[in-house]
Amino acid sequence: MSAVQAGESPVVGVRVPAFERVVLANGATLLLMERHDIPLVGFQAILRGGALGDAAGKWGTASLLAGLLEKGAGKRNAYAFADASAAVGGTLGADAGLEALTVSGEFLARDQALMIELLADLLQRPNLDAAEFEKLRERQIEFIRAAKDGDLSAILPTYGAAALFKDHPYGRPVSGSETSLAKLTHADATGYYRDQVGADRLIISMTGDFKSADMKKRLTEAFGGWAKAKTAAPVVLPPAKVAGRHVLLVDAPGAAQTYFLMSNVGVNRKYPGRAPLDVVNTLFGGRFTSMLNSELRIKSGLTYGARSQLVRPTQPGQWQISTYTRTDATVQAADLALETFGKFKQGGGIDATALDSGKTYVLGQFPTALETSPQWARQLAELEFYGLERSYVDGYGPALAAVTMADVTRVSAEVYPAADDLVIVFIGDAAKIRDGIKKYGPLTEMKLTDPAFSRL
Amino acid sequence: MKSALLLTGLLTMQSVMAAAPPKVSNGLDPAVVQSVTLKNGMTVIVWPKHDIPNVALYNFVKVGSRNESPGITGLAHFFEHMMFNGTAKREPGEFDRIMEGQGASNNAYTSDDVTVYQDWFPKTTLSTIIELEADRLQNLAFVPKVVESERQVVYSERRLRTEDDNQGKLMEQVQATAFVAHPYGNPTIGWPSDIQSWRIEDLQQFFKMYYAPNNCTMVFVGDVQPQEVFALAREHLEPIPAQTPPLPIRTKEPEQLGERRVTVHAEAQTPLLQFAYHSLAAADPEMPALELMMRILAQGDSSRLHRALVEQDKVAIAVDNFWQEGFDPGLSWFFLTLPADGEVAKAEAAFTREIAKVAESGVTAAELAKAKSLVIADFWRGLATINGKAQQLGSYAVFHGDQSKLFDAPATYEKVTSEQIKALAAKILTVNNRTVGVLVPVMGEEGEGP
Repeated sequence: MSAVQAGESPVVGVRVPAFERVVLANGATLLLMERHDIPLVGFQAILRGGALGDAAGKWGTASLLAGLLEKGAGKRNAYAFADASAAVGGTLGADAGLEALTVSGEFLARDQALMIELLADLLQRPNLDAAEFEKLRERQIEFIRAAKDGDLSAILPTYGAAALFKDHPYGRPVSGSETSLAKLTHADATGYYRDQVGADRLIISMTGDFKSADMKKRLTEAFGGWAKAKTAAPVVLPPAKVAGRHVLLVDAPGAAQTYFLMSNVGVNRKYPGRAPLDVVNTLFGGRFTSMLNSELRIKSGLTYGARSQLVRPTQPGQWQISTYTRTDATVQAADLALETFGKFKQGGGIDATALDSGKTYVLGQFPTALETSPQWARQLAELEFYGLERSYVDGYGPALAAVTMADVTRVSAEVYPAADDLVIVFIGDAAKIRDGIKKYGPLTEMKLTDPAFSRL
Repeated sequence: MKSALLLTGLLTMQSVMAAAPPKVSNGLDPAVVQSVTLKNGMTVIVWPKHDIPNVALYNFVKVGSRNESPGITGLAHFFEHMMFNGTAKREPGEFDRIMEGQGASNNAYTSDDVTVYQDWFPKTTLSTIIELEADRLQNLAFVPKVVESERQVVYSERRLRTEDDNQGKLMEQVQATAFVAHPYGNPTIGWPSDIQSWRIEDLQQFFKMYYAPNNCTMVFVGDVQPQEVFALAREHLEPIPAQTPPLPIRTKEPEQLGERRVTVHAEAQTPLLQFAYHSLAAADPEMPALELMMRILAQGDSSRLHRALVEQDKVAIAVDNFWQEGFDPGLSWFFLTLPADGEVAKAEAAFTREIAKVAESGVTAAELAKAKSLVIADFWRGLATINGKAQQLGSYAVFHGDQSKLFDAPATYEKVTSEQIKALAAKILTVNNRTVGVLVPVMGEEGEGP
């Protein structure tokens, strides 16, 4: 491998350090990894479900519930609960994702008892106050409006998911839309909690400066008696890949740039070709000197950044090219993105030298993704959530080293769509770009200020 | 092993951690950090840390937008881009191709005060990386075609962060309004007309003066030995000739004697309010008190401003703050995001009322203890990665003149008293000392893009 100099041992990747896995009688899973580099203890607690548990049309329920869990629990009201962790320099927050609710936190090692108390109260004894719910709901609506006044590249993926997945659960906006949030009630949030939150959905991954035996005892005491959720975790079916071209234009009058993505359905977390795919995607659009960034930024100066990304949940998620450019260069940039993608699909752009470079790059950067305790907490939780083995981490280095050109060809063909099968979303000044982008496919139009993320 | 850590940092010290497995130890030992000043004035600092087989290299160049003037605003930031775009020895793009091909990644950032170049690489590529850095410091090329292309990239970045982002748009106006004299009023990205008109001559002069080795502090953190780094630095970096040091910035911002206001009308759904107060320099002995005060005011849901403005009065959906830590006295900022139908006057009155309370009555013992805990915990979090260590070590070396002060930081926060904070608030957080920015939403009007 080119990363090896004479006399040095080869970089073979990262191995999962020793950790303990415990499954309690009520189904809660505990993962404990001691690390003593700095005097902090951190955790990642995952509850299966997330936005998948939102009732039809009630997008944002899980998201609001996550916020509500923080607004008072056990004997503490909202202020006291926030103050309890802040007073000792701790962090504690709950969030909703597509497939799980996540609670994460980090405290000084000396405060681990308080940390566990707060986590247990938040999950098992939240106040779920109605007035706090209303405040959160109203704020969330306003946050969406504020987001539309800011960096539009951040909100583009929400439009992209809605356009790509349509009725499939992966298309729903996790934080809700103005329309869906307006309909949500306190009963929706408490109902979600009652039905979808419980011990059998729970994974707690704890890393840092503690003693495993002691931590296991504390967590078992705190969570061993918790009831299971009333319902089974939601199951989602694989989404269908999209055939043909479909173009959505979201009008943002006066925008100085157009923000666009091109997507189709990709792969899931358990896709067996992960190592070659990571290398291929890095070379196509996952690093500074990638094909996409070389064409759209380095050579042409059209954009500050162009990339290719894969979201890999339980079922196949989206693959997308995304970038932005000044309004009057929209067609030029979109043409160039399609041309570059076409070249990639035809097998051009990745030769043996590029392959070696890609493998070395991904492997060289890998240790920095698993440097800190919170990163390990997330990694362990992820392995558990997706049902992955330790080899997902331990074997990654060797798997990267083993990637061949045949793997590259296979992965490029089976993961990435044909250039004729794309969902393309443009956010920009419609009056200026509408005519130019019609050529990319049948066009649907909406406004950025519309209160939903699709016209469904 | 205690015996290893007690050895003082002499140039001949061998790190005994080289061959051993990663150590488990609480606390940090300043003695492992070693530093050398090369004959050409470049400072090289090394913090050996062997938890992962990687290294972070941060080069702090003492140039930022404060070193600019009308006609060349944005140039320091432009250099952040141009430093990747080719040398006399290497074609544009080769720097990144070589780095990425060897498992390394890179980035950079520019502030009002410094430009910092960041490399993250496997330890086995150390000599290559140092040689690449020496090459671009010494032999940077200014190819017209490349300059033109990169100019457009920078303009795209400006559109992303300022023209299409209302917080950024307002902030640029507030900053320019707050400073009537000092070049901290320059936007780091540069004014649009300046971006469009930089000349090759501007670049060449700027580079010669500011990218001199005597103006650079290179920080290495990770799986390296100080001796191997110093040897490579002497070989590749020491031969780069020193230059006459840049002239110091002489302009001092005169005291602000009355409130300043600026309004921006923009396509938006939500109003924005920003408040900027003339504040302190990084090395000011009162900076720890400022930081604690700012955290009490707006860090987290239990902070004063969040409770009052977001939860109780509901005049804002979010309150954030930021304080500048630079060579000269900068600004302390507060950002209020209002709901779409929010009333600016009401939010402003509520904010002014809450801020005045700190000057009148100070902070409680509980609040002070909380802020100190937050600072200590964040201190540890900031040092959890080799990047964080490099960032912190370099900042203390450059802004405080001594990297070992990093390790004294927790003690300096411990000493701060409530009286100090009250006095600081009375001095800084006054109406006369602030610039108020208001973003007024207009919908459906013709946009004013380029």
